[in-house]
Amino acid sequence: MRKGRVMHEGSIKIRLDAQLPEVERLNRLLRHFGELHEIPGRALYSMNLALDELVTNVILYGYENPVEQKIVVSLEASAGSLTGTIEDEGRVFDPLSVSAPDLSVPLNRRELGGLGIHLVRSLMEEVTYRREGSKNLLSRSGKESAKLNS
Amino acid sequence: MQIHEAKEDGVLIVAVQGNVDTMSAGQFEARLVELIAEGSHRICIDCSAMAYVNSAGLKGFLVAAKELDARDGRLVLCGMSENVRAIFDMIGFTQIIAIVPTREEALRRLAEPAAA
Repeated sequence: MRKGRVMHEGSIKIRLDAQLPEVERLNRLLRHFGELHEIPGRALYSMNLALDELVTNVILYGYENPVEQKIVVSLEASAGSLTGTIEDEGRVFDPLSVSAPDLSVPLNRRELGGLGIHLVRSLMEEVTYRREGSKNLLSRSGKESAKLNS
Repeated sequence: MQIHEAKEDGVLIVAVQGNVDTMSAGQFEARLVELIAEGSHRICIDCSAMAYVNSAGLKGFLVAAKELDARDGRLVLCGMSENVRAIFDMIGFTQIIAIVPTREEALRRLAEPAAA
């Protein structure tokens, strides 16, 4: 990615069934959108990963019964910033309520569970998160080209 | 996701291609566990064609690292893109799993006698 390249403005709205195979479709759509709008690689990866982990979490743990449930994911590129939104009717989950993982423990004591939440939690340093009613709002703003080349 | 396997000087090279995500990670992890159980205890995972990894895929890498550690085996990862490397760093795996830039360097590491 060349320095100073500006991404194109635009947005995409994706309606998903609350089923795991749908996450793959989501990822493919996000990547296509990212490429066509020339979103810097690191920004696209972080946003894609955050949306992937959060939507997966909603599908796996958000419902008593996920049948007929829909999740709407939007991504907007505008004025150098990237905003992702997840709308769902699942139970409320705030990734910021989870405490930061202890990364200093040796291999044999690293836990296999909770990697997704750890990742989302860590990504929050790059992607900001807030909840508004049934919406999970994620945003990542500006400075993409500078960051990428650092 | 596709997995290509090759043996070189007693080291198993597993080249992973594509996306190691929620749909493919189970297959990735199961194959690594199987290879380790069959006796491959020096493994290089070449990530140069791995475009994307999420937490499900990261779990596969951690499982392989733990399985090998428990058998006094060794795992070295190589060829990661900057974006993938950043995710390994973020989750703290760069502190517990050996990661080097090139396959040549990985093979050199795996050829060295085990540290006492």
